Amino acid sequence: MAQYTQTFALLKANLKRDWLKIVVWLVVLAGIFIAVAAKFQGIYGTHNQIQTIAQTLRSSAMKSLFGPLTHASLNTAIIFATEMAVFWAIFMVIFNYSLAVGASRGQEESGLTEMVLGGHPVGRLAPLSAAALELLVADGLFAIITGIGMTLANMPGSDGSGDWLFAISLAAVGWAFGMVSLLFSQLVADSHNVAIYNYAFFGVTYLVRMMTDVSNPDYTWWSPFGWIEKTNIFISNNWLPVWLFIILGIAAFAVAVVLNVNRDIDAGIIQVRGGKRRSGFLRGPATLLFWNQRSVSLFWLIGMALLGTSYGSVFNSIGKLVNDSPVIKQVLGQSGVRALEKNQILSFVGILGIIFTVLAIISGAMVINHLYTEERQGYLQLVNTTPHSRYYLLTTYVLYGAILSVVVLFATMMTTMAVGNATLSHPLAIKYYYRIFAAMLPVLALFLSILVCFIGVMPRLRSIVWILLGGAFIISYFGRLINLPNWAMKISPFYWFNKVPIREINGEPVVWMLAIAVVLMVIGYVGYRRRDYEN
Amino acid sequence: MNSQLVVEVSGLKKSFGKFEALKDVNLTLHPGELLGFIGPNGAGKSTTIRVILGLIKATGGSAKVFGKNVWKDSVVIHKDLAYVPGDVYLWPNLTGGQTIDLLLHMSGQKHTKRTDDLIKEFKLDTSKKNRTYSKGNRQKVALIAAFSTDVSLYIFDEPTSGLDPLNELIFQQKVKQLKDSGKSVLLSSHILSEVEKMCDTISIIREGKVIETGSLESMQHLTRNAVTVKTAKSLGALQKMTGVYQLNFKNDQQTAAEFSVDSDQIGSVMAFLSQNQILQLKTTPPTLEDLFLRYYHADNEQKVGE
Repeated sequence: MAQYTQTFALLKANLKRDWLKIVVWLVVLAGIFIAVAAKFQGIYGTHNQIQTIAQTLRSSAMKSLFGPLTHASLNTAIIFATEMAVFWAIFMVIFNYSLAVGASRGQEESGLTEMVLGGHPVGRLAPLSAAALELLVADGLFAIITGIGMTLANMPGSDGSGDWLFAISLAAVGWAFGMVSLLFSQLVADSHNVAIYNYAFFGVTYLVRMMTDVSNPDYTWWSPFGWIEKTNIFISNNWLPVWLFIILGIAAFAVAVVLNVNRDIDAGIIQVRGGKRRSGFLRGPATLLFWNQRSVSLFWLIGMALLGTSYGSVFNSIGKLVNDSPVIKQVLGQSGVRALEKNQILSFVGILGIIFTVLAIISGAMVINHLYTEERQGYLQLVNTTPHSRYYLLTTYVLYGAILSVVVLFATMMTTMAVGNATLSHPLAIKYYYRIFAAMLPVLALFLSILVCFIGVMPRLRSIVWILLGGAFIISYFGRLINLPNWAMKISPFYWFNKVPIREINGEPVVWMLAIAVVLMVIGYVGYRRRDYEN
Repeated sequence: MNSQLVVEVSGLKKSFGKFEALKDVNLTLHPGELLGFIGPNGAGKSTTIRVILGLIKATGGSAKVFGKNVWKDSVVIHKDLAYVPGDVYLWPNLTGGQTIDLLLHMSGQKHTKRTDDLIKEFKLDTSKKNRTYSKGNRQKVALIAAFSTDVSLYIFDEPTSGLDPLNELIFQQKVKQLKDSGKSVLLSSHILSEVEKMCDTISIIREGKVIETGSLESMQHLTRNAVTVKTAKSLGALQKMTGVYQLNFKNDQQTAAEFSVDSDQIGSVMAFLSQNQILQLKTTPPTLEDLFLRYYHADNEQKVGE
């Protein structure tokens, strides 16, 4: 037990450091969740409304996004649970990842762990345990707030057990993935690589969940992320997944403890290999950026191509009409049915465009963000004192980020097309894919410009770009399902291209979006030239 | 061209919000000169250097390198300058060798035999990843790159803070070689002895102001040695000797004493001491701390007198 000495003191310090982050996440995650629950009866209160949305949810496209809707007799609460479970679990995982990395590897990187362990009577396992407890506190708070909020929202068809199961299972999925992240923190020696391992693990579990949901939901048990669907909230209220999450979390933590005891501080279990003594390749900021980013970029390309492949593979089931009664077939005729099916796939391609674009923006924004993180970490002070101008440096990062974003988006669209068309008896013309790809470029330019503007003028506030991106995504992806008013939908840049690829791209939003992007970009450049370097 | 000042800083001010980091900094570095820039932690050494390097923008005053504006013409200036920061941070995924080559390329230089010699002399294993290097080894990487760069101005910001005495000695030799080949060097440090050994001119900074600038000789009064001595016979006569200050006898027989002595008087004082049969003797050069304490006292006295 001596190795756990002072765990609670460290926990207190962690909470003191992270309280704002935790509060903001909790307000957003629990707050929106409860608000949607409270409003839900107004959206899906009547029998007709429920039947209409149920039809949508039963289509394969929706299954791949939200998980299957298995129960026959439906009510408001069941619709809510189906729409929210997978979606909110994603956010819980991201929340816990960010906390876990900061409290484990991030803290070690900053030298804090060494100081605490080396110079003070603190147990070797105390920092790791404090990190685990911090996640427990954050997730516990989420469960309590959400549970109470759900009970108060009191949707038709909900029950106390289901309310609390929903709150606790969301907390449990986040916590379990956080514990897995603590395990990865022991394997590799820097937080950047831990994040890659984290999201690779999440990506795999998400893809397995998606594929199995569409093909055979029984296999969804194979993915830890899929367990969240198996709670059958408000139907049978199955608590088994919660226990599975807890077991997974404890097991991951136990492995992390064993690994932690057997490794040196500031090192990972996976040893850093030596390398070349000379380099003819590294010649300046551009080649350096490529060298540092090449594996992450490749990771993005392969991961996104896989995502495209898996979405493409469900195209034939998405094309099938949910309501394919003989009467309708007769009324529409052969060509009518085909046109309707085609439209259905095309609007699915439109939604995919949004998902892929958000991810592509993240890939590029992370590169541009590096310009600032490298500045803060002091890596750039040796570059900035060589004869390269700040414009050149910024342009290098912006170009690399923008090109990566565009290439990632294009590759994902193309793999979706290749695989999707292979499953269809009447493949979609390539022009539709080009159209959605082209429509997403102004949006992509807009978000990257916002980031450049922040990095040039107020780099400490740059994280606002993630909030904007997340907000736009939630509005466009989710807004229609919760009947968001039209003016709210218009806030999201994606709204202006929501008819693409069925219709042509509207030229007007392209022009003003690019104009805003250019202005922001110029402000960012001027600001970057004029401000002090921070390190 | 030769008579042009390499670095010319006058009345430099820099504020971060309400905090005035630099209040009045004046520095001049002539071609071929080795300027020592000393001061305690937080006095503004690094801030001054960062202004000179064009990393941060001055709030007032002027700073020129090679006669050019450090902020506007930073790119041109950087073509003829090498810099080693006090805290060297290197891209964790590169090896030391790759980093050296990268830094050389970026400054338009080449990996030469000189580079290989430096790697050998500093005993750096260049095949290791930067993330595995200690602070001293990261400093070596930056120093090797800087020393094998052929430019006219070298700026070192507390470059030996992570080096062991042996490597510190190599550093001092290399700086001397730079000087012998006519290069200009700006060396910031909080270690007086290091600056004393190498520099022609010394500028002292405290609380954002340069309070003293001059050659080592002109600052001789700053380099008083502290002496602790025990002898067999009485040392009463010390009181009348020139160059002896702060004399303090430790016993009534006046055979044990502590005092400080001007460096140029140390010979005659030692002769006197040995006449009285030295039993124990310890001399220490004044620390920078003593120096600054003296300046604090000077300030306070001045205030009282005003």
